[in-house]
Amino acid sequence: MTSSAWLKWLLLAAGLAVLAVMPWLVGEYPLNLIITMIIYSLFALSYNVLFGQAGLLSFGHAAYFGLGAYTSVLLFKDLGFSLLPGILGAGLAGGLLGVLLGLFVVRLGGTYFALLTLAFNALIYAGAEKWRGLTGGEDGVAAMRPDLHIPFFGDVGMFSTVHWYYFVLIVVLLSTWFCWHFTRTPLGRLNECLRENEDRARFIGYNVYMSKVAVNVISAFFAGLAGGMAGAFQEFVTVTFINLDKATDVLIMTFVGGSGTFWGPILGACFLTYLNQVLSDLTEHWTLIQGIIFVLLVMYAPQGLSGLLISLKDRFWGARAGKLSPAAKGEG
Amino acid sequence: MDTLAALPVQALHGLVYGMLLFLVASGLTLIFGMMGVLNFAHGALYMLGAYFSFSILQWTGQFWLSLLVAPLLVALAGAIIERFFLRKVHSYGHAHELLLTFGVAYIIEELVKIFWGNEPLRVVLPALLAGSIPLLGIEYPVYRLFILVVSIVVFIIMFFVLYKTRAGIIVRASVANKRMVDALGFNVPLVFLVLFGMGAWLAGLAGVIGGPYLITNPAMASTIIIDLFVVVVVGGLGSIQGALIASLLIGQLQSIGILVLPQFAIFFEFLLMALVLIFRPHGLMGESK
Repeated sequence: MTSSAWLKWLLLAAGLAVLAVMPWLVGEYPLNLIITMIIYSLFALSYNVLFGQAGLLSFGHAAYFGLGAYTSVLLFKDLGFSLLPGILGAGLAGGLLGVLLGLFVVRLGGTYFALLTLAFNALIYAGAEKWRGLTGGEDGVAAMRPDLHIPFFGDVGMFSTVHWYYFVLIVVLLSTWFCWHFTRTPLGRLNECLRENEDRARFIGYNVYMSKVAVNVISAFFAGLAGGMAGAFQEFVTVTFINLDKATDVLIMTFVGGSGTFWGPILGACFLTYLNQVLSDLTEHWTLIQGIIFVLLVMYAPQGLSGLLISLKDRFWGARAGKLSPAAKGEG
Repeated sequence: MDTLAALPVQALHGLVYGMLLFLVASGLTLIFGMMGVLNFAHGALYMLGAYFSFSILQWTGQFWLSLLVAPLLVALAGAIIERFFLRKVHSYGHAHELLLTFGVAYIIEELVKIFWGNEPLRVVLPALLAGSIPLLGIEYPVYRLFILVVSIVVFIIMFFVLYKTRAGIIVRASVANKRMVDALGFNVPLVFLVLFGMGAWLAGLAGVIGGPYLITNPAMASTIIIDLFVVVVVGGLGSIQGALIASLLIGQLQSIGILVLPQFAIFFEFLLMALVLIFRPHGLMGESK
């Protein structure tokens, strides 16, 4: 193994260790913020399966997230589901909607995808708002977070923030591992090939349409899972979980973090959730600042924060190892 | 009044909204046809028209002045967006341009909230437009008829310019084949700038006349952008005739829908969109490329 590969594993192990002992490091309030970051990391990761890997710009990912949130809360409230089946149900609901919408939205590429995802998100939003008997309309629905039922062991209460933290952490880590592994599967590779050259994939003989639907379903499943946990975390869900703002939030998080790397979206979700918390106490114009950061990155650093970090790393560590890129040499 | 008797009035309502929608959609679809950019900020420019007009009215009390000046200010804003923002990211490709216009729309929406507040604003109309006249058996608001007249006049002028003047021919030629127009020696970046400004002017004008009717509020942009996107999907991206047909269809679907099935009125346009996607994926008037 090369030294940089060792460094990667070391960083990963250190990160996991910090996450594992987090409840001893911080108090109740920061822990809640960290749980929010973890949930939105998964949302952004799921978004990047489309945006970064498939090159599909979606304005409608809140449809899956919101449906997941409604599903978990309603399963807890009306059907008395325990925690894990409720959250998995949220993921499945997201995935099913991913099949249904996917059949429509991936037919025409590029700009049409952006248009259609936005329009279908508006449709799902209208559905949530109008079907008051089920969703409570703008008033929303509330349900207590149920216990986690583990076979042959018993029930683990989720009232404690620490228990809930570990539950969310484990679900998101497993999902992250899956998403990372997905990029190495044949379908994951094909997904990136579709972004780079769709015609070539078609000539080789792949069914481009069905592959895109499949990728949309995977992305929608994890968005639903994240939504399910967000609903369970708030113990309440309303139309703000499914509106256009929610859809654009995840786009901004993913882009700001950097869509070109696997961990960029996680960085973006954590960074913006944290800034949101800190800055919204200081200034009411936080969303404006977020918009300006976004536009500046679009104009000057399209690879986002992770792209900036990588170019910084290359500048300092790359130089020491004598691996100067031609561009960097030109600058020096 | 029973449903049948209300039909002509609702159809007229639908026509008013459809024409208004077309004013905004025409700029959006021309810009797309020519530059390949889906301008997400188009709804925000429309909203700016309404707010600029509100402030001009507040300072001067002159509605007609605001009708003249506010769209020009919006055109200026559009030209600035094209010249200083969009042009910088042109080389990164269309997805990037879409992201940029989205970011600009986001910032405009936040600025509107900061300068004008979150509450809906009431626009006081001049006496000439404020009343109502008997029409189709009811008292019909004059202002809606005014919207209809303005949008039809603009529509006629626009078609005349596009189809009968040299400038219009250059624009249509650029939509059809940008590189050929460039090769013939026309300054295509300048054409882009002017077209973007004109599209913004149309959106701003629609905002000025639409603000008092659809209520000037910070959610105006995101409300109309959904209808706009449905219009371009149904009509076909880049087709001005398609935009006209789709705008009028959606106006009718919304207003007749409210009459027939009020609970489900909002779903009809999406149903139309889904049907178009299944049977004519590139839109009613769109060409598959």
